[in-house]
Amino acid sequence: MKQSKIKKPTVNRQIAWTHLNSKPGQTLVALLGVTFGVSMYIFMNSFMNGVNQAQDDLAFSTLAHIRIYNDDDKRSYNPAESFFDAGTLLNIRNKKSLQYTDGIKNTSQVISIIEKQPEVTGITPQLNFSVFFRSGSKKINGSISGVEPASENQLFGIGSKVIAGSWNKLDVQKSGIILGKLLAEKLNVGLNDNVNVLNSDGVSKNYTVVGIVETSVKEIDKSRAYLNIATARQFQGKNFDYSSDIQVNLRDRDQTASLVSQLKSAIPYQVESWQTANQQLLAASQLRSIIAIAVSLTILLVAGFGIYNIMNMTINEKIREIAILKAMGFSGGDILSIFLAQAAVIGVVGGITGVLLGMGISAAVNQVPFKVAGLTTLPITYNPADFVSAIVFGIATTLFAGYLPARKASKIDPVVIIRG
Amino acid sequence: MKTTENALQVRSLIKYFHDPQTFQVIKNISFDVKKGEFLSIIGKSGSGKSTLLYVLSTMDTDYEGSLEFNGERLTGKTQNQLAAFRNEHIGFVFQFHYLLPEFSTLQNVMLPALKLGKLSSEEIEHHAYENLRLLDLEDQSLKKANKLSGGQQQRVAIARALINNPSVIMGDEPTGNLDSKNSLAVQDIFRNLAREFGQTIICVTHDNDFARNTDRTIEMADGLILK
Repeated sequence: MKQSKIKKPTVNRQIAWTHLNSKPGQTLVALLGVTFGVSMYIFMNSFMNGVNQAQDDLAFSTLAHIRIYNDDDKRSYNPAESFFDAGTLLNIRNKKSLQYTDGIKNTSQVISIIEKQPEVTGITPQLNFSVFFRSGSKKINGSISGVEPASENQLFGIGSKVIAGSWNKLDVQKSGIILGKLLAEKLNVGLNDNVNVLNSDGVSKNYTVVGIVETSVKEIDKSRAYLNIATARQFQGKNFDYSSDIQVNLRDRDQTASLVSQLKSAIPYQVESWQTANQQLLAASQLRSIIAIAVSLTILLVAGFGIYNIMNMTINEKIREIAILKAMGFSGGDILSIFLAQAAVIGVVGGITGVLLGMGISAAVNQVPFKVAGLTTLPITYNPADFVSAIVFGIATTLFAGYLPARKASKIDPVVIIRG
Repeated sequence: MKTTENALQVRSLIKYFHDPQTFQVIKNISFDVKKGEFLSIIGKSGSGKSTLLYVLSTMDTDYEGSLEFNGERLTGKTQNQLAAFRNEHIGFVFQFHYLLPEFSTLQNVMLPALKLGKLSSEEIEHHAYENLRLLDLEDQSLKKANKLSGGQQQRVAIARALINNPSVIMGDEPTGNLDSKNSLAVQDIFRNLAREFGQTIICVTHDNDFARNTDRTIEMADGLILK
């Protein structure tokens, strides 16, 4: 009895193997179906990952995960109302506004609070303001970001985007300025030239160009310049601990919600996650993922139908053999396992060749030149989870596509077939 | 050989066809088949002889009455139990030879034994060669089954039916699709198996010469046994 338990599957497998080998053309077509489905699944997902990655790299080169800033709220307080009785007719003309708060005055204190959060990977204070850049008689409006060079580079990797001069010069040369590439072109200045900056308070100062930066975000390249934050504070007449924004990066940028709510209670300023500030980014990347999954699953489904058809044909062709196997004593379960084994071989082999082909296609596409927005070739990012799910989906689809005809075969009544 | 013992016992067998109309094909028949007996069942087409054979073969379970093999009651067993029983105890030879065309002659003969799994594949191969030699097919053993002539295929089917030393060999018009020369050869083989090896054989046939050469003939008409 024990022996028969070991032998049975071998006979079934032997029959399954003979079936696969006797119609190599058909087996190949079924295999190619799975191969193509799995490879497309891998290629589509790797490509979409690449696109999302490139998009994110671009977006997060200027966008932090959390931004803290001071928003002067709308105030409805009217002092006249508290001095006069209700019902007194008041006529106030040319009401003047008072700026109650402006920027973050205790930057180092706020930073020390944020630093205690374990998920934070980087913090940098910024002092951002609008200015006019002047060179000769040319006047261009733009903005200046006063930054701590080291931590700014840690968050946004901006140092690597400096195409002339060097980012670290900002640290050394306090009167240095780094200009966006298009801004420099418009001003017609190069390294070591001077550029005059005029702020909204009418203060004007000369700075020396120590670098040119290209972020690939056109809006920034044509209007942004960087100063050391100390220089910027001096220029704006602010105290040594003043900043307009504090930018924070997290280990996982998708997990901003809990930290935002935590910081909101601890810090008297606005705390905003990138998701709320840039909902279009989130929507775009999610929609791309949905499209990628939909397309690749459709391909797998079509491959599944192909396998279903081929298995159905095979079973119709072999219906007499199935009947004779049953007459000889093969049970319904044996017949099921014979045909499922064939589907499993097609699924596993097709899955493996599909992964290889998918990697090949992806690697080839990764070589296609695509010189837009800082890219050089079409982006591809491999994600191990995609490979696992491609193989799992591939085998599951094949087994399911094979199971239905195999079950039909297992239920064949040999009497009906043999008697004709 | 205890010829008095029954290999097969049929009691009060009734069988209906329901399609296209309900129709009684077998009308309450009972009979025994003794061990070592060579039995033929004859009758006109529509007499119910083939239907009877498929009930005896355990493949058709939709009947009333009871069926016993070597004293073991088979009526009421599950399909899987019956499949295992057929594998061990019944050998089939059909009118259309029904070999697996993609397998070699040898593999076709070995399959039921591999399925039974009582012997190692070397022993099974040895037995299969013996059977093929007995049927004068030794030199065809490695050919694909679909490359053989009709007479050869039928002899392979007989070799396959014998491989598990079955209690009974059942034939459904085993010579029905053969020319007279091959038909005679197959008849000779069956007679030899019955005489020399004491093999129990039940054959449905419309060939009266074949029937005349068997130990006993059951003639059926309209679902009843005439004699």
